[in-house]
Amino acid sequence: MSQSRAIVPVQLAIGVGVLAISAMLGYGAFLFPEEMGFVILGAYVYPYAVAVFLAGVGVVLCFQAVTGGFRELADHDDESAKVVPGGKAGVAWVTGGLLGVAVLINLIGFVLSAALLFACSARGFGSRHPLRDLAIGIALTLPIYWLFNAGLGVSLPPLVNAWI
Amino acid sequence: MDILASLAMGFSSALTPINLMWGFIGCLLGTAIGVLPGIGPALTVALLLPITAKVDPTGALIMFAGIYYGAQFGGSTTSILLNTPGESSSMVTALEGNLMARNGRAGPALATAAIGSFVAGTVATVLLTLFAPIVAKLALKFGPAEYFAILVLSFTTVSAVLGASMLRGFASLGIGLTIGLIGLDSTSGIARYTLGVPELVDGIEVVLVAVGLFAVGEALYSLLYQKEEASGRHRMSSLWMTRADWKRSVPAWLRGTLIGFPFGSIPAGGAEIPTFLSYSTERKLSKYPKEFAANKGEGAIEGVAGPEAANNASATGSLVPLLTLGIPTSATAAILLAAFQNYNLQPGPLLFETSGALVWTLVASLYIGNVILLVLNLPLVGLWVKLLQIPRPYLNAGILVFATIGVYGMRHSSFDLLLMLAIGWGGVLMRRFDFPVAPVIVGMLLGPMAEKQLRNALSISEGDWTVFLTQPISAAFLALTLLVLVVPHLLHARGIKLHEDD
Repeated sequence: MSQSRAIVPVQLAIGVGVLAISAMLGYGAFLFPEEMGFVILGAYVYPYAVAVFLAGVGVVLCFQAVTGGFRELADHDDESAKVVPGGKAGVAWVTGGLLGVAVLINLIGFVLSAALLFACSARGFGSRHPLRDLAIGIALTLPIYWLFNAGLGVSLPPLVNAWI
Repeated sequence: MDILASLAMGFSSALTPINLMWGFIGCLLGTAIGVLPGIGPALTVALLLPITAKVDPTGALIMFAGIYYGAQFGGSTTSILLNTPGESSSMVTALEGNLMARNGRAGPALATAAIGSFVAGTVATVLLTLFAPIVAKLALKFGPAEYFAILVLSFTTVSAVLGASMLRGFASLGIGLTIGLIGLDSTSGIARYTLGVPELVDGIEVVLVAVGLFAVGEALYSLLYQKEEASGRHRMSSLWMTRADWKRSVPAWLRGTLIGFPFGSIPAGGAEIPTFLSYSTERKLSKYPKEFAANKGEGAIEGVAGPEAANNASATGSLVPLLTLGIPTSATAAILLAAFQNYNLQPGPLLFETSGALVWTLVASLYIGNVILLVLNLPLVGLWVKLLQIPRPYLNAGILVFATIGVYGMRHSSFDLLLMLAIGWGGVLMRRFDFPVAPVIVGMLLGPMAEKQLRNALSISEGDWTVFLTQPISAAFLALTLLVLVVPHLLHARGIKLHEDD
C-alpha cells in the first residue's frame, strides 16, 4: 500500500452505507407500535442491539477508508483492480436478462422467459449466436419444466400463456 | 451397544434401493459441481431446496449430504489438473497437486486426494457416530441461556475466522442479522422492517439470499473482474501409487483427518484453517522437504494427501454441531439447516430422540456415500474432466436459469426475482472488497434464533441479565467467544506466513 493515509471514496461509501443501515434499523425500531401486556424483552430491543453493532462496524470501516483503505485486502481486491474489457457490457446483458425474466415470467410463461434469460446470459458471457442460444435455452428449460411440474409437483407458471 | 444397534437400523434403511438412489444422485451431482468452477455445494443444495416440498425428508437429506461430500471430492480434480481451486479450502491442493501434475504425476496426486478423502471421510464419520450422541446428550441439559451463549460464539467464530479481516466479517454478519430481522416478530406479532411490502412480511428466504449471493453475485463478479485464464490442462498419468507414495500418504491422511475433524466440529468457520494447518504440519514433518512448492520442488504427495483429508474430515465434522445443536458452521451447513427446517425438523439435541431413524439413516448414508464417491471418482476421473469442456457462456447461463427456477419456484413471485438480482449486486460489492459471504447466511438464519433464546433466557431469569455469566456453561461459552476474538490473529499470522514463503 503505497498511498497510505489516502481517502478511498468507494470504501468510504460502503462504510457510510453500513452506518445508514444502522440508522434505519434504529429509526424503524423507534416506530414500532407499543406492545400490550407483560413484555419481557420488547420487539425493539434486539433490533436496537443489531443497530448499535452495525454502527460500531460502520464507524471503523469509515475510519479505515479515510486512512488508506480497508486493511488486509487480497491482491485482486485492492483499489487498482480494473474491470476487464467488455465486462460492463457483459453485466448489462446478464442484469437485463434477469430483469426481463422477473417482468416477463408471469406474461409469457416460464419456458420462454427462462430461455430468454439463457440467451441473454450466454451473450453476456461472450456467445455470439443468439438464435442458437435461444434454442439451447428452450431445450434446457422444457425438460426442467416437465420434471418440476410432473415429477416434483413444484408448479411453475404455464408453458406459454393461453393467449399466445 | 446402543449406538451400534441404531447404526445397524440406519444402514438397513439407507440401503433400500430408493435411498441408495438418492445417495447416488447426490454423489454424482456433488462431484460434478465440485469439478465445475463457479458453482459450489451451498448453491446446489440451495437450488434443490424446493424438492423438499415433494421428496420425503430422508431421501432429500441423503442427497444433500452426498452433494456436500461429493463437492469436496470433485474439487480436488480441478485443482490438480487445472490449477483452478474452486474453493479456498482446495488452494493448497492446487499448489502441490498441480506441481505434481506438471511433473507428470497427475495420477498419483489424484489417487492420493481421492483415497485420502475416502479415508478421512470414513474415519470422520466413525468419529461422528461416536461423538454426536454424546454431544446431543450433553446438549439436552442446555437451557436458553446456554443456547444464546453458543449462538453468540458461533456468530463470532464464523465472522472472525472466515476471510481476511475480522471487521469485514462482522460487517457481513451485521447485514445478515439485519436481513433476519425483516418480517413478523414471532413473539410480539409486530411486522418489522417490511416497508409496507407484503412480500416481506414472511421474511426473506435463506435460499433467495444464498442464490443471489452465490449464483448471481458470482456470475456478475466474474464478468467484471475475472480475466479468462488460458490454463493448460495437464495430461493424465497412471493412477497407481507406488509403495513409497502409499507410505508417505497414509500418515498424512490420518494426521489430516485428526486436524480436520475437530476444526469442522467446533464453529471455527469452514475448512480453510484445517487445510492450511495440515499443509504446514506435513511440510514440517516431511522427510522430503525439497519436493514442496516453496522449495521449487516437484510437488510433494504429503502436501496433497494431508490437506485433502483435512478438508473432507472438517466437512463431516461440521455435521456434529449441525445435528446436535442446530448450529451451522459453514455456508453449506447453513443451507442444510434450512432444509431440515423445511420439514419442520429442528436439528438439536432432541433430533436424536424425535427423529432418531432419520439421523441414523443419514449417518449410515455417509459411510455408503464415501464408498460411492471413491468408485465414482477414481476410475471415472477422465469423464469428469470432460465436464470442463462445457463452454463458459452456457455453463454460466445454465447456472442463472437454475437460480431463477430455484427462487421463483418457492412462491411464484416476481418480487423475489428482483430481490435476487439486487442481492446479487450486493454480492459483487462484497466480493470486490473482500467481505466474506457466509456470515450473511449464518446471521440471517441464527439471528432470529438468538433473539428467541435471549427472550426465553430472560423470562426464566425474570429479566436478570447476569444469568449469562452466572450459569457456568453459558459463561464458559462466552469466555470461549473472547478467546475466538484473539486466536484467529495468531492463526492468520501463520497462514499469511505460509503465503510469504511461497
